[in-house]
Amino acid sequence: MPLAIGTTLSRRRFLTLTGVLAAGSLALSASTLWPRWARAEPELATRLLRLGRDIYPHEAIADRYYLAPLTPLLGEQRELIAAGLDDLDRRARAAHGRDYAAVDSAAEREALLRQIEDGEFFQAVRNTLVVGLYDTPELWQAHFGYEGSSWEQGGYVGRGYNDLVIDWL
Amino acid sequence: MSTRFEHDDDGVLVIIGSGAGGGTLAHALARKGIKSVVLEAGKRYALEDIENDEWAMFEKISWLDERITAGPRQLSETFPNLPAWIVKGVGGSTIHWAGVALRFQPHEFRLHSEVGDIAGANLLDWPISYEELEPYYVQAERHMGVTGDASGMPLHDWNNNFMVLAEGARRVGYEKLRAGPMAINTRPYDDRPQCMQAGFCMQGCRFGAKWSTMYTDIPRAEATGYCEVRPNAMALTIEHDERGRVNAVVYADAEGNLQRQRARAVCVAGNSIESPRLLLNSHSALFPDGLANSSGQVGRNYMTHATACVFAEMPKPVNMHRGTTFAGIISDEARLDRSRGFVGGYTLEVMSLGLPFFAKFMDPANGGWGRDYAAILEKYDHLSGVWICGEDLPMEENGITLHDSRKDQYGLPVPIVYKGDHPNDEALRRHGQQQARSCYEAVGAVRVFDVPDFPTSHNVGTNRMSARPEDGVVNQWGQAHDIDNLFVSDGSQFTSSGAENPTLTIVALALRQADHIAERMSRGEL
Ligand SMILES: Cc1cc2nc3c(=O)[nH]c(=O)nc-3n(C[C@H](O)[C@H](O)[C@H](O)COP(=O)(O)OP(=O)(O)OC[C@H]3O[C@@H](n4cnc5c(N)ncnc54)[C@H](O)[C@@H]3O)c2cc1C
Ligand code: SF4
Repeated sequence: MPLAIGTTLSRRRFLTLTGVLAAGSLALSASTLWPRWARAEPELATRLLRLGRDIYPHEAIADRYYLAPLTPLLGEQRELIAAGLDDLDRRARAAHGRDYAAVDSAAEREALLRQIEDGEFFQAVRNTLVVGLYDTPELWQAHFGYEGSSWEQGGYVGRGYNDLVIDWL
Repeated sequence: MSTRFEHDDDGVLVIIGSGAGGGTLAHALARKGIKSVVLEAGKRYALEDIENDEWAMFEKISWLDERITAGPRQLSETFPNLPAWIVKGVGGSTIHWAGVALRFQPHEFRLHSEVGDIAGANLLDWPISYEELEPYYVQAERHMGVTGDASGMPLHDWNNNFMVLAEGARRVGYEKLRAGPMAINTRPYDDRPQCMQAGFCMQGCRFGAKWSTMYTDIPRAEATGYCEVRPNAMALTIEHDERGRVNAVVYADAEGNLQRQRARAVCVAGNSIESPRLLLNSHSALFPDGLANSSGQVGRNYMTHATACVFAEMPKPVNMHRGTTFAGIISDEARLDRSRGFVGGYTLEVMSLGLPFFAKFMDPANGGWGRDYAAILEKYDHLSGVWICGEDLPMEENGITLHDSRKDQYGLPVPIVYKGDHPNDEALRRHGQQQARSCYEAVGAVRVFDVPDFPTSHNVGTNRMSARPEDGVVNQWGQAHDIDNLFVSDGSQFTSSGAENPTLTIVALALRQADHIAERMSRGEL
């Protein structure tokens, strides 16, 4: 069924696909929490990660939260992704003499991406990420101050829906 | 389970759609002992199916059958297959709606007389007046539980989001600031609980505090024994006899099998894209341009409200996601005042989106990413938002047509939903954006930014009411000018859009239509 908005995968489905839900011990190093495909192909994962982190840069958010929502793309549009990353590296080498991920300046990387932002590759990554990354409940409270589902706690009656004091004027 | 009617029972009315229009009508008729079969394309959901989860609910209940967004508007690029946000399910878009329940103003029923002809617009007065509809507004408000005089329920307390906007509004001189009226209980009413300020009104109210035909009109209609609701039943065509009176509806059932339900009369309430589409698809030798279309107006004059969204980042957290989604209304600009450079007015309605939706909708165009974008999202809890709901002038070329080769899963031509703006809409929108910006600046916003249109939630006008048969599709009762036992019972009847959200008016019209149908039946005319 055609769906205009981003990915058709539900959050729950891609969380189980990627094993994020099952990820356990905090003692594990960051990359052992990566989705399975990313651990199998760390080079591809690292390139895609740089791109994802440049599209929606949130310094404090761990890599795996970028990789997890991109997982379905690897299944469904692998060739598009591989070709797109190669093209991006070619552009980076032409402009800066090195691969995209090795370009140090965030502003220079952003400028490269603005050149391709209307293309299919970039939009596939962006559309997947904008739905997936921000639909990750573990990140909401700490990084954005969004509290998510509230009916289980009886909504916000008595929990701060009308407690604002405008003291900044 | 409820009563079942035979497929060849020609004593039943067939109602297509179970949302604001269809659900209300079925219930009102059932209470009068009038039999109906409601065909609803979507599934039936229970309160337990309602989640506080934006994407999960969007995926679960939206109408996602193929549609084409057309016209010179950004939506054609950003949402090429999703022109409108409409629910496919028992209860229709009243599952998703946010509960804002405003009456039209008296002059809005006669905008054409007030302002005269406007080049490029297809303006027309409604064939009914505010005074005629007023008793039904009162009835609708009691029926739905709208806060205020009719129901006796107090308005809601102001939530944080509205406090911010209202403070700014006061400072720019606005006076008509209210937390409602809303069809959301502030205390137990009509066997439904009070609102818990959970903040997911647009995903469906898990508590049932917000009026929706899903858990009021539909089960109550069924309980009378006079109404059978068939979910997963997509009406494909309406049939007629040799005299041109409608007599049956052909639909696809849950298994995809074609069924034919005989009908004494048919009431179309599929919302403003599907209703005209069904009439157009029902063309026949007698009605080659589609049913009820001798005027050529079926599918035309599509109006969506002239809307825009403005968000602001405040110096401290607002937590807009707490409390009702559309928590307060500013009505100062709803008046008719041509000195502003446009006709018609608009309301300013405070709104919130959760982080998942806001991240997508803040800028759905290709350029919606990058450092600045992410920086605003990191301030999510500091945001406050407002939605502009303004008069959208009818234009003949805006509307629903059928694609000449693409077919949907039922084998029906895919609808093309074309919409462009009249210069009046643009002027109104700019004014609204500027005023919203001023409000937020007056309350100390760090930054204020426009958020583009998302898929349309208010869809009206495509089978409009008119006094004369050549100007529109239905008369003042919603009865087709051409066919005396065919009715339109949803927002597609609207002759103009007003500056108010449509649902209260849809419900008032449906209640009025039920009285009319009952009266004609008692006279032996139907
Ligand atoms: C997110 C959101 C927020 C909103 N907030 C507000 C608000 O605050 N205030 C307000 O006034 N309005 C609001 N609205 C708009 C309101 O929901 C609609 O105006 C109203 O529900 C329209 O009523 P209707 O009867 O025309 O159609 P709907 O309520 O959409 O019902 C149409 C039904 O018909 C069914 N159907 C369509 N075609 C067929 C067919 N061929 N066969 C069988 N069934 C069919 C559909 O599946 C659907 O269930 C909102 C809408 C949305 C989406
Ligand atoms: S805020 Fe109130 S009406 Fe809205 S969903 Fe929550 S409980 Fe229901």
